[in-house]
Amino acid sequence: MPGVYLTTSEFLDDAKSAVKDRGMPSLRMVALPADTYYRSRASQDELKPIATAAFAAIVDDLVRPLTAEEAHPSQVQKQLESANIKVTGKDYQDAYQKVNDLFLDSHWADGLPIVPPTPKLVKAMLAATTRSPQEVIGQVAPKQGTATIEKIAVNSVMAGAKPEYFPVILAAMDGFIDKHYDLTHVQASTGSFTPLVIVSGPLGKELGFNSGIGMLGHGFRANSTVGRALRMSLLNIGQTWPQVNDMALTGRLEAYTFFTFAEDNEKSPWEPYAVSLGYKPEDSTVTVATSGNPVVLGGGAVAPWTGQGVIDQMIARISGGGGFGWFHSQTFVIVLIPDCAVDLASAGYTRKSLQAYMFEKSRLPFEKLSPATVKLTQEAIADGRISPEHAQMFKDNLKPGGRVPIVQSPDDFHIFVAGGSPGYDLLFSYPGPNWAHQTKKVTGATLTKAGR
Amino acid sequence: MKKRMNWLLGAALLIAALCSAGAACAQVTLEVMNPRGEIPPPPTIGINPRVPDLAGKKIVLVDNGKFGANNFLDVLAAMLKQKYPTATIVMYPKPAAQTITDMPKWYPTVAQQGDLFIFGVGD
Repeated sequence: MPGVYLTTSEFLDDAKSAVKDRGMPSLRMVALPADTYYRSRASQDELKPIATAAFAAIVDDLVRPLTAEEAHPSQVQKQLESANIKVTGKDYQDAYQKVNDLFLDSHWADGLPIVPPTPKLVKAMLAATTRSPQEVIGQVAPKQGTATIEKIAVNSVMAGAKPEYFPVILAAMDGFIDKHYDLTHVQASTGSFTPLVIVSGPLGKELGFNSGIGMLGHGFRANSTVGRALRMSLLNIGQTWPQVNDMALTGRLEAYTFFTFAEDNEKSPWEPYAVSLGYKPEDSTVTVATSGNPVVLGGGAVAPWTGQGVIDQMIARISGGGGFGWFHSQTFVIVLIPDCAVDLASAGYTRKSLQAYMFEKSRLPFEKLSPATVKLTQEAIADGRISPEHAQMFKDNLKPGGRVPIVQSPDDFHIFVAGGSPGYDLLFSYPGPNWAHQTKKVTGATLTKAGR
Repeated sequence: MKKRMNWLLGAALLIAALCSAGAACAQVTLEVMNPRGEIPPPPTIGINPRVPDLAGKKIVLVDNGKFGANNFLDVLAAMLKQKYPTATIVMYPKPAAQTITDMPKWYPTVAQQGDLFIFGVGD
């Protein structure tokens, strides 16, 4: 079926990149002017001049005979990315500068200087894991680049990570590449989401992650370089670039290091998050999730608060919007400062009972749901996106007087304990379908006591 | 002391002479590894032959669900109908990704709706 794809001028490069990725490089497109389209699109009257200007091109794309290349485009050859690169300078400083110029000008880095990934440094990184350098852990969206342990090691060196951190980086990459993690959306969407990378278990302390005051800030090598190694791996292995195929409109809030921190398992009154999922106390895990801007709650150093008050404010934020109708896939990441968690534990809450409380209190009255949300929820029940074990609960409540859960299960509230004393509590959420939440166990570490 | 100074001066002159003669005495080569992932290229396919004229054709306008796309396609539909009165315009909205389990199976259904398609507006 012949067709034409309409896009806007700001997304033309992105569209061209996507059709090449999918093997249809000659797809015809017409780009509408972004500077007028977006501010006119609410009004058909205002869109008329834009449609009039584009009309001839749209028709032409449907009737103009194909060129030979359009009908039978050349097969794209695999671009080999295996050979080492040699850079010569008049002295070490000059060579170092030239490596950085090459990587930054080629879009092989995040815009900041890198550590040159020499074979010696990469070998040292690889020695931190028992996993084979040639092991393929999966394909990285959006271009489906092949992620090997060695490629991730190269990017980890560039980021300045210590070899000891490497098994944590690999576990996080296992999560990002999991088929249930919606990496294409996270890597490319206009929504400008930021991944969360949270370490739970003994490795957090052993590696020196900051879990206290300033845990999302700068200055701590584990937090900063683990996050940066992941940023660089996703960028280079998935081959993304802003304004080309990473269309995050504002850029990401933690663009260089993501939201990377560890749970404070010593100050938490509850078992580590990993243990709550069924892992052993000696296990360490990495959870990767996705979020927009977190909601900051609690009093910090300037106002009184109670644990119950913080939780009730979170519930009000979670349920206040009336839901997006994506109950089948929403999850929330809740980071409580240790003082808040202790306060809640003193009041009798366990992590489990707190999840159950949030689940019950965040339910929405059926009457508050829009018809579209009701329809979406019914479809999700019918096609299995709301799992059969939870479907009856939704069916029972999708009627007048019902109270509809905002997530499928209490377990979709993921509660971590970290932050300062004083501190602020954080609510991370993803304003859309969140398939993007995975926890992976750290394995194969050779340089640390934990994570082996 | 003087003897030592002379020795240092001689050594410095020798190094300078070697370097100015083009010797690679101070050059440094850094060998670095490629950070990029290899991309298995997908099989390439061409696009379908065009039609000679839109007159009499069934044209499917696929609204991708982005805000305002319906407005643009409505305007386009009116213009197509005016210029090609014998054409049939079919509006065929794409379901939101989160409302359909198997999106790849939905795309082929577009081809069942008519002769040509216009898909938009992508952002």
